[in-house]
Amino acid sequence: MADLSKEPFNLIVAGVGGQGNVLLSAFIGMALVREGFTASVSDTFGVSQRGGSVTSHIRISRGVACSSLVLEGQADVILGMEPVETLRALGEFGNRAVITIVNPRPMQPTGGVSYPDLDEVRQAIIKLSARTMFVNATEEALEMGDPIYTNVILLGALAGADVLPVGREAMVEVLKARFPGALYDVNLSAFKKGEELIRDAAGIFS
Amino acid sequence: MSGTKRGSRNLLEDVLKAGLCTGCGACVTGCPYMAIHEGRIVVLDRCTIEDGDCWRHCPRTPTDVSGFSEKTQGVPFDFLEPGAIIAVEMVRSVDAAVREKGQDGGVVTALLAFALDEGMIDSVVCSKKDAGGAPHGFVARTARELLECAGSSYEAAFTLEAFRKIPAGNADRLAVVGVGCQMEALAKMKAAAPVNGGNPQNVQLTVGLFCGWALRSDIFRPLLEEICDTSRIVKFDIPHSPGTSFDVYTKDAGKISIPLDDIRPAINPACQYCWDMTAEFADISAGSAGSSFHGWNTVITRTPRGAGLMKRAVAAGIIEIQPLPESRMTKLKASALNRKKNALRNLARKSGTREDLGYISGLPAGLVDALLKD
Amino acid sequence: MADIAIDNPGGVVLLMGNEAIARGAIEAGIGVAAAYPGSPTSEIIPTIAAVAGKRKIHVEWSSNEKVATEVAAAASLAGIRSFAVMKQNGLNVASDFIVNLNMTGIGSAGMVIFVADDPGGMTSSNEQDSREVAKWFDNPLLEAQNAQEAKEMVTWGFELSEKVNLPVFLRGVTRLCYTRGNVALGKLPSGGEKKAFFPEIWDMYNPAKSRFTAGPSQVAHKNLHEKLKKARALFEDSPFNSYAGPENPELLIISSGVCTSYSLEAIEELDVADRVGALKLGTVWPMPEKLIEKRLLSTQKVLFVEETDPFIERSVMEFAAGRLPEMGGLAFYGKRSGHLAPFNEQSADLVIAALADILNIPLAPRDPGYRKKAEEAMALVPARPINMCAGCPHRATFWAVKNAIARDGRNGFVCGDIGCYSMAFAAPGFYQARTMHAMGSGIGMANGFGSLGDYGFDQPVLAVSGDSTFYHAALPALVNGIYNQSNFTLLILDNSATAMTGFQPHPGTGMLATGAPAPIVDMEGLCRSLGAEVRVCDPFDLEETTDAILAMMQKKSGARVIIMRHICQLLKAKRKIPGECKMRVDDEKCLGDSCGCDQLCTRIFGCPGLMWDGAAKKAVIDEAICVGCGLCADICPAGAIIREEARP
Repeated sequence: MADLSKEPFNLIVAGVGGQGNVLLSAFIGMALVREGFTASVSDTFGVSQRGGSVTSHIRISRGVACSSLVLEGQADVILGMEPVETLRALGEFGNRAVITIVNPRPMQPTGGVSYPDLDEVRQAIIKLSARTMFVNATEEALEMGDPIYTNVILLGALAGADVLPVGREAMVEVLKARFPGALYDVNLSAFKKGEELIRDAAGIFS
Repeated sequence: MSGTKRGSRNLLEDVLKAGLCTGCGACVTGCPYMAIHEGRIVVLDRCTIEDGDCWRHCPRTPTDVSGFSEKTQGVPFDFLEPGAIIAVEMVRSVDAAVREKGQDGGVVTALLAFALDEGMIDSVVCSKKDAGGAPHGFVARTARELLECAGSSYEAAFTLEAFRKIPAGNADRLAVVGVGCQMEALAKMKAAAPVNGGNPQNVQLTVGLFCGWALRSDIFRPLLEEICDTSRIVKFDIPHSPGTSFDVYTKDAGKISIPLDDIRPAINPACQYCWDMTAEFADISAGSAGSSFHGWNTVITRTPRGAGLMKRAVAAGIIEIQPLPESRMTKLKASALNRKKNALRNLARKSGTREDLGYISGLPAGLVDALLKD
Repeated sequence: MADIAIDNPGGVVLLMGNEAIARGAIEAGIGVAAAYPGSPTSEIIPTIAAVAGKRKIHVEWSSNEKVATEVAAAASLAGIRSFAVMKQNGLNVASDFIVNLNMTGIGSAGMVIFVADDPGGMTSSNEQDSREVAKWFDNPLLEAQNAQEAKEMVTWGFELSEKVNLPVFLRGVTRLCYTRGNVALGKLPSGGEKKAFFPEIWDMYNPAKSRFTAGPSQVAHKNLHEKLKKARALFEDSPFNSYAGPENPELLIISSGVCTSYSLEAIEELDVADRVGALKLGTVWPMPEKLIEKRLLSTQKVLFVEETDPFIERSVMEFAAGRLPEMGGLAFYGKRSGHLAPFNEQSADLVIAALADILNIPLAPRDPGYRKKAEEAMALVPARPINMCAGCPHRATFWAVKNAIARDGRNGFVCGDIGCYSMAFAAPGFYQARTMHAMGSGIGMANGFGSLGDYGFDQPVLAVSGDSTFYHAALPALVNGIYNQSNFTLLILDNSATAMTGFQPHPGTGMLATGAPAPIVDMEGLCRSLGAEVRVCDPFDLEETTDAILAMMQKKSGARVIIMRHICQLLKAKRKIPGECKMRVDDEKCLGDSCGCDQLCTRIFGCPGLMWDGAAKKAVIDEAICVGCGLCADICPAGAIIREEARP
């Protein structure tokens, strides 16, 4: 059983409503429980669950369950499904030691709100993280034929980055339990794609 | 032109809500934020463009009339005269069938059909009545189609909607038929072409229609529906004599006369602010005012282009001409000037001061004072 | 969760609060579960429904919460444990029945009502504290700290309900319902056929009033208070209440629910466990007064941490006011003192700030250098406004509504209602909804506006209602409108699901909560039979829909209904129905932000599948989001958005 470098260990998954971070976070939580950890997985919605910001708080401990929400400035890892949302999460939960994994494909806000300069956003993410890894998950998913695979690619990347106390085996078991038959095969290859991508993503240290 | 740069928000406040919209149709097409509905221009949503064609081409946004005339017509503007004049004559179509279908002498239909035939133009932007008799902008490409458009509807026809719908890049040489406000809008488009749709550089001929006022569809239509089956209406007319009745010709009941006073409540209130009875910015203007002979039009030939067409049409035996008696000429000039005085008076009353004449600017202060004295 | 009814006592699984609550009800051996969908409770019924056949549970989506509670109560009266579920607004709907049920008491089998509040109004139009209702109506109320405790409380709630002969409230909040945590499973009941029987049958030789007919009130109300006393006694040594900390703490925190976790974390974070004691109340109402008294007498200062109202705070202060000689010196902190707010969610961060202030602990921002950098970077981060999904039929409907109202030109307006289409109060629905309150209130208010003709009211009135909302609460208002000849047009936005809460079936879908087929309550036929003029439109036919709305709103009298029928895009995706076409923007034709467009598609229409490329000044399709509905092709004035080909 893996050990906790810190208790509680805090993972934030930041994205946009509809991107599927709720499901992704549940997968991570299930894998953690499989490994004998106590997990708390909770989502906060910005203005709304549809099209608004969604932040999932995953808190890992031994024994007593933590409260649902990560305290200010106390994220250990941030998995960003979208650049601006990653930066938003860094603003609230970031610290000098935080490790950030980002899907760099922007989701445009609607209603006439313009997206900031993407390069500036990338630079700010790098500046606010101890180490940043970019993973082109959406592009890969589109290549696989459906943006829906973005989540599992990111899950694979997270597993491959080796920043969580939970290993790939537990995550693969969760996928196996969740997806029947052929669906498992395609999701497993998405997972492996994520692992591959993170191997190639040389971390950028600030 | 006073060069104000504004957008649809200003158009909504300063023209539509201010009761100045005459329904020319210049602003509508090519803009998804505006639409024509039951004889009105409606704004569907907020546009943020602060320098819009809708404002630039509207005949009721501030216009330096003198400067503008000089620029677009190439002649100095004399507010006291009914526009540039090469000749004023009584004219009618030689073809009786055209006279029957058209208004008075049927000159407009005859001239335009001739221009199509001789190849001066490829199509005519005009208005056509639908099954219920309500007018809509229409592009006629043959004399036959043109004949279907003949006859006055007395309603705002949004003709320029059809003009703006012609795709950019279309090379058809065009004639445009319309009343004063529409000719002004078209002149504004010629001065500054629309960003999308409508090709003012292709306009080879403009034919103006004399206009006293236009009727509001939302009031006029229900009124008509009360007295007849509107789909059976053939023609409207206000006969010169006695000049107090509005005649509706129908297929079933022949002529139904309505007292003109009953029609007046349907007159678009915006028309009281209009200065241009004879469509001064056209190549040729035609109407009935000034002519007391039934079956003849009064025609003002204004530009060399218009004169050329008149000459060729006479030579081809399409139209016949009589000189306009001096007394009629005097009367025509008087009513055109009277319209201008009324417009200025109403605009001054609306703003509360002679210093502010709304959309009309560029007139010498002395002239305004003189006109409004009596 | 694959199988909520897995028989593995002691096994630990990750469950969402709502799933744990469902599991608790199954472990308690319920025979009936009923609810109307409402976030944050919507997952409970589907979780039970998934195993309903196997566990012999009658589970239903009722047409509204009052009906759901009545269905559950009847089961209790017939000796079957029953479970009713609702969000705070649903409790308001069910209230009139519950207050009367309390007068008669329940049957031999327990009845638990789970009610979830939504502090912060994350998925609600309002924010309210349902604990006040328990106090007001005299119901025992439990409040759970986490998923594990929620499961245990549901199970114990049934025992309590049977002991005191009252429906027991279990109160949750969004953070409880939607947080996933470790849950150790309990034993499943062994099954064993239980026969339902209603014992209060008529005895012709000894005719007497059934005890299930409410009244006389003075007797019933007296009995109710006796029952509450019994509950209070049971609560005094309940394991759901606990104390941790020094025997005589400098400060006592009294908390309930998820706030207990925030409080414990705050104590740890500030390292004040030797100074601060924490009393957790799981049995919130009636308050265990002896326990409270003991703890109050052991300290000088009390901080209350709870969501949302100062409910425990007021109740404890009320209690202390009766013991002034011993408790007169106590200092109370919480919402009254301004240390915490009587609205929105609480958090460990907020409790830390309150504790630090009361205990005079300096609270410097962690790592000011980093914080400054982070704040600077936040200038880059734009707001992300709410929106309807890509290809949402509501966007089409409100586009048509907007244009119809503008064309009509008589200051017409829409009375909004509750559902995804509530977003019509903002940009996603073009700000068309001008009122928005409770379920069914849109059409109810339209009734009122439409009756003001005598006062010169001449604005056209439109009301919107979702398909599920129609059956829930709009129907009585439609009946009223027809009867009282109010002048309005009802638009039923029929997207074949209760979409906002997760696509639950309803009486119009032909499907039960379990997924089994059901008769369709035909809304079109229903409206016609009531005497309404009914039209059915596909809102994706914008022109026809706009004309239909205009025609209906211009009628001077008579009830008018337009059913806007188009399936929810998310439901379509769930059912693997492909999009109609692949969309593309023709750069040559796109006018961008110039005159004649002004970014109509991205700035006003606002489908998330369309993006504005600021550099190119053109619109682009985001193929990761676009569902290929094709509607944007119809709104583009330049014809630049092109439906390319049918998707495979």
